[in-house]
Amino acid sequence: MKKLLAIILSSVFILWALPCMAAEAHGGEEEGKVDAKEIIFEHLGDRYGWEVPFCHDKSIPLPIILWGHDGLHCFMSSKVEHGRTYVDGDATFRVAGADSEHKGKIVEIIDGKEYRPWDISITKNVLGLFIAVVLVIWSILDVARWHKRNGYKAPRKFTGAIETLITFVYDGVIRPTLKDRAMKFAPYLLTVFFFILYMNLLGLIVVFPGGANLTGNIAVTLVLSVFTFLLTNVIGTKHYWKEIFWPDVPLWLKFPLPIMPVIEIFGALTKPAALTVRLFANMLGGHMIILVLTLLIFIFAAMGPAVAGGMTVISVGFSVFMLLIDVLVSFIQAYVFTMLSTIFISFGQERGHDEGHDDGGHHHDKPVAGSDGHHAATV
Amino acid sequence: MELFKPDFGLIFWMFVAFAILFFVLWKWGWPAIMKGVEGRADLIDKGVEYAQNAKEQLDNARKQADSYIAEARKHQTEILREADRMKTQIIDEAREAAQQEARKVMEQAQLSIQQERKQAELQFRNEVSALAVDIATKVVRGEMGDEKAQSRLVDSLLDDMEKQN
Repeated sequence: MKKLLAIILSSVFILWALPCMAAEAHGGEEEGKVDAKEIIFEHLGDRYGWEVPFCHDKSIPLPIILWGHDGLHCFMSSKVEHGRTYVDGDATFRVAGADSEHKGKIVEIIDGKEYRPWDISITKNVLGLFIAVVLVIWSILDVARWHKRNGYKAPRKFTGAIETLITFVYDGVIRPTLKDRAMKFAPYLLTVFFFILYMNLLGLIVVFPGGANLTGNIAVTLVLSVFTFLLTNVIGTKHYWKEIFWPDVPLWLKFPLPIMPVIEIFGALTKPAALTVRLFANMLGGHMIILVLTLLIFIFAAMGPAVAGGMTVISVGFSVFMLLIDVLVSFIQAYVFTMLSTIFISFGQERGHDEGHDDGGHHHDKPVAGSDGHHAATV
Repeated sequence: MELFKPDFGLIFWMFVAFAILFFVLWKWGWPAIMKGVEGRADLIDKGVEYAQNAKEQLDNARKQADSYIAEARKHQTEILREADRMKTQIIDEAREAAQQEARKVMEQAQLSIQQERKQAELQFRNEVSALAVDIATKVVRGEMGDEKAQSRLVDSLLDDMEKQN
């Protein structure tokens, strides 16, 4: 039954895709030349509407939400497809062309000039985010439901796999690093891990539910590292702040010229930046390599059928290899982001185990009692 | 490079999406899972501990059983030995008692034999004397009128006989 369904679905899919591909091939002949850079950046970037598989010039329309000079505007992206202008009341909108500074973004046209309105459209990436959110919620609540219903039985199949990942991250990273604070930060860190993992893996799927380059987008990684930055610094302990502004170094390093505090503050700001760029660059790089390998077929197509045929085999082989590597990278990057977040948060949670010698060791037992009290207050 | 310019809309939706995701999981996801996982770990720990205890107890029980068996065996031998000893003792005692009884019986028998003999002797003497008197009476009646003189004579004769014995 399942097999039959698969056969029917795939034949419908192929029948529907063929005319599209034919149209594509026809269009390609007219253009004649492949602009590799354009294609790569188009695939890596965001867009209004989600392209239908195998059919470049059709797309699933998505809602565009704008705050222009005269208020809120909502319309579907199909209205501004293929460079069309859309007039909504007094306002005129279109997607900026290749020569504009807002290339590919929607702009409002006032007196012939392009202005960028506040744009909170549900773009391809935003919808991708929502899909990832739904999938993460569904998977995690599945495990939670299992635990509520089945008590202490061991989960199997998908539930078991997700639970294994949870315990892998929790027991492998969060608990050893944060120790008694682990339970406090585990919800955030585990959420981050699964969110990034799902976004990474969805990015590897070529067609509709996936294909949005989410973690290879700097906005997404930026928001995640800002959350980690806030958690590190807002819930940071007194000891953490003392280490930043009055670290335990010779006086001349911090008194007339605050050399060490400046370095420490710089360090605190560098951490989220490193988090942002690391994830962004890794995922972007992976996507770019696969795109380039695929595009090699079209670039070499100009050099005759023999070269193109050979290149196809090679590039498909490499693409598959790179995709497999990227599956591993997706996991590793999610893991590394979680691990670094855990470590940064643990820096913020440091308690002064050697506070005793700062005030001359007069109250040697006091810091212990103090830190215990602090611990009780925060947990 | 548009790739390095974070887009406002995406940042906004990312905040929203992450906030929703975090809230839902924080409320309904992680606590249940953490509780379940910790609970299961505790249960497994407890189970292992229980099994270890049970094994220890079993080992102890076996050891104890062995010691009981050894003790019982020792007891058994002791009882057997005691029984053996008692048997001999009883036999000895019985034998002694029997001997004593036998001796007593013999003594009594001897005593009664002696008495019998004395009595018999006495009776015999009386009878003999009576007989002798009778005989003498019969013999002498005809010859001797004086019975007294006769019996005196007989007595003296009998005394002589006795002395001769």
